[in-house]
Amino acid sequence: MIATRPYRFRLEPYIEFAKKAIARESTYRFEVFTSIGSFVVRVYLLRMVWTALYARNAAPEGLPLHAIITYSTVALLMGLVLDIDQTRLLHDHLHDGTIATDFMKPINVPLYFFSDGTGEVLFHAALIFPAILLSLFLVHIDVPSAFVLVMFLISFILGYFVGFFINFILNCIAFWTLEISAAQLILTWVTDLFGGELFPLVFFPLAVQNIIFALPFAAMFSTPLLIYVGQIRPERYAEVIGVQVAWVVVLAGASWVMWRFGARRVVVQGG
Amino acid sequence: MSSTTRRMIGVYRQYWRINVLTTLEYRENFLMWFGFTFVYHGSAIAALWVVLSRFPSMNGWDFRDMAFLYALWMMGHALHNTFFAAIGDVPEHIQDGEFDRILVRPLNELFQTITMPGQIFPDELILAASFFVFATWYSGVHVGLLFIVMVPLIVIGGALIDLAISLVIATTAFWFIRVDALRWIVLQLEQEFTRYPISIYSRGVKLMLAFVFPFAFMNYFPAAFFLHKTDTGLALPAAVGLLTPLIGVVVATLAYIFWRFGLNRYQGVGH
Amino acid sequence: MPIIRTRDLQKVFRSIKRRPGVGGAISALFSREYEDKVAVSNVNVSLEAGEMVGYIGPNGAGKSTTIKMLTGILVPTAGTIEVAGIVPHAHRQQNAVNIGVVFGQRSQLYWDLPLRESFELLRAIYDVPRDRYRENMREFAEILDLERFLDTPVRQLSLGERMRGDFAAAMLHDPKIVYLDEPTIGLDVIAKEAIRDFICRVNRERGTTVILTTHDLADVERLCERIVLIDKGTVIYDGPIERLRTEYGTHRTLIVNLADSYPEFSIEGADLESREQNSVRLRFDRRTITAEALIRRVTERYSITDVAIVEPDIETIIRRIYVEGYSVQPATSPA
Repeated sequence: MIATRPYRFRLEPYIEFAKKAIARESTYRFEVFTSIGSFVVRVYLLRMVWTALYARNAAPEGLPLHAIITYSTVALLMGLVLDIDQTRLLHDHLHDGTIATDFMKPINVPLYFFSDGTGEVLFHAALIFPAILLSLFLVHIDVPSAFVLVMFLISFILGYFVGFFINFILNCIAFWTLEISAAQLILTWVTDLFGGELFPLVFFPLAVQNIIFALPFAAMFSTPLLIYVGQIRPERYAEVIGVQVAWVVVLAGASWVMWRFGARRVVVQGG
Repeated sequence: MSSTTRRMIGVYRQYWRINVLTTLEYRENFLMWFGFTFVYHGSAIAALWVVLSRFPSMNGWDFRDMAFLYALWMMGHALHNTFFAAIGDVPEHIQDGEFDRILVRPLNELFQTITMPGQIFPDELILAASFFVFATWYSGVHVGLLFIVMVPLIVIGGALIDLAISLVIATTAFWFIRVDALRWIVLQLEQEFTRYPISIYSRGVKLMLAFVFPFAFMNYFPAAFFLHKTDTGLALPAAVGLLTPLIGVVVATLAYIFWRFGLNRYQGVGH
Repeated sequence: MPIIRTRDLQKVFRSIKRRPGVGGAISALFSREYEDKVAVSNVNVSLEAGEMVGYIGPNGAGKSTTIKMLTGILVPTAGTIEVAGIVPHAHRQQNAVNIGVVFGQRSQLYWDLPLRESFELLRAIYDVPRDRYRENMREFAEILDLERFLDTPVRQLSLGERMRGDFAAAMLHDPKIVYLDEPTIGLDVIAKEAIRDFICRVNRERGTTVILTTHDLADVERLCERIVLIDKGTVIYDGPIERLRTEYGTHRTLIVNLADSYPEFSIEGADLESREQNSVRLRFDRRTITAEALIRRVTERYSITDVAIVEPDIETIIRRIYVEGYSVQPATSPA
């Protein structure tokens, strides 16, 4: 009689999941070219738009033309990594019923999806390097001090996690309704508008700025970007990073709750 | 009336009858897509409004002008999406063998593609028409006889330009099979570039938007004409905007020739 | 005047030769080498109106390529085709009016619509006159028992129901020729019978020419008198199914039920295929011994209660041909 080994948590399978995701994404060569292509075109477009806008109007305080062009370009670079549906696999598996077999395996299922998403993101993150090179042909990007850069990266990573959990929660809706593509697209546009990817949130009328900065979307793009271009000064770093951390915790908690309810539904209803 | 024409009219009537019935049956779907379309266009317009409230003039165009500009583009685009959007399914048909079925039926292949029963919602068209009426009033454009006569033709011309683009992308599927990424990017770029007056772009891009991918004729030139803008950014009078219907017919015809070329190759080379 | 005629039909697929490795990929940018694959060559087939022909061959033999050329989907590299007087790929739409196609793997019905709506739409596409449409619908609904699910969306139908709907759809416009590609795949026995009956009836009553492409040789055996066998792109047999059986079906099986349990059983001139208690299967070559002679030999040695003869099935015969290749067997008389 063969003795089965007891379940122990190992990191190895999750690393494999991430590697598999990277391999999968790299087969979509066409998509890679089009995403870099559209990135380059957008960098150009935004440069022309801001140049035209700054030509006949007064520049806002603290944001001269070169700063806003930097803002837009770095935002687009961030977008290469942030604008991905990281937990798409969760939705797909719910859709085609594979989730049932996922639960039968000796793995932590949400961690599985997280690993897959991480792999996908890492692949896209690699695209940042050629993207930066290409954008240098079109625009000049300001480079801040090393300290600011490090704070930017910390804020960026926190912003990534905010986006990840929002994405996870959204894909969890598929436990109940399956047809979520419209909700997802709505969320994308809402994130665009209030996330700070398209333009600095300080352009919003003062009256609504308080609300907008309180939303989690601002934590995704706006906070890191404003740190980068110096609109958020070092004195406020603790405050804004704190807000980001708070959102990460809240959204992580919400994700955990969504998952528990959703997973129970699968087990009870059979998927 | 030849048998073919009679058949096409019959099929077209049947197709719309099915569409109406399906739309009425899936009412919740309709509302959801209405919401999505509203947010998609709404966030673009909202972003424009926010930015232009801080930078009132863009090369002499203010928010009222740009609202009209967007509305004019949206009309042509929505018209295309309501009547011709099914062309975007051609790559899928090729992949799953449905296209072979099209080749076995006694009707023009493009016509069959356009009349594949599916869910077409008039939400975008309704939204576009409402916004257009609003923008016409809001921008203060003069609504004379010329306006009333030409605008419908210009909108149809715009739809034909979009049709040409859709058709060309669908034709590339005969070679590359999977073209979703291309389709998505072209759509995004179309929406982003037509949002602004082309006079802000560099010369090369202006020429491309006028003579290669004639998006500038979808909304920019006609809008410039009706809004009495004197400088179009090219050595062309804004009155060329009245040629949009003609341009639409020309590019659609060229695209159709390319489609037939691709079709012949598909039948010669196999799949 | 044959309704379908092909002469020296040939189809060659050209693909780009892929060279392995990075070096290969780079050199491919500069010079292209092509690889020609001959899918179909030298196919000369002639069908009269009203015939029912089985078109069979192993996977990759060129069956679907031929069918695609006949239906106008694919353009031949060389040779001529004429279907009801029309060159299919040159006059696609005209040809389409004359033909009906059932793809077993892929339905032509509209997935989200009730079955009835699919028929209505097809009526409009083929411009079937209203009264003819009603007549056909009535007849098909009766034979294929469609009434029950005419208003059900196609995606909710079982495979058997959907296939019956597909058959009705293919025949709705009274085509002269019907191409059936794997029509009974995945169906249960009862559904298969219903489909086979329908095909028979349509061929007999309406004189529709039927070309049946299938791996289910039981279908072929039941329905077709003529077989066209294709392998590696060429036709290796075109003729009556009976001739195949007599030429290649050399071995028959005799089943004998013994009256007593004999410890040992052997007979000269036949191989013992299997033995289960008192039931014995004997395999014998028709050319060397007749069934009558063999039975006589058996009864001389053993007492029996029952006897049965199993004919070689077309499946075994075809398998032999796939493996051995086809060549005309000289007719030999048994000893």
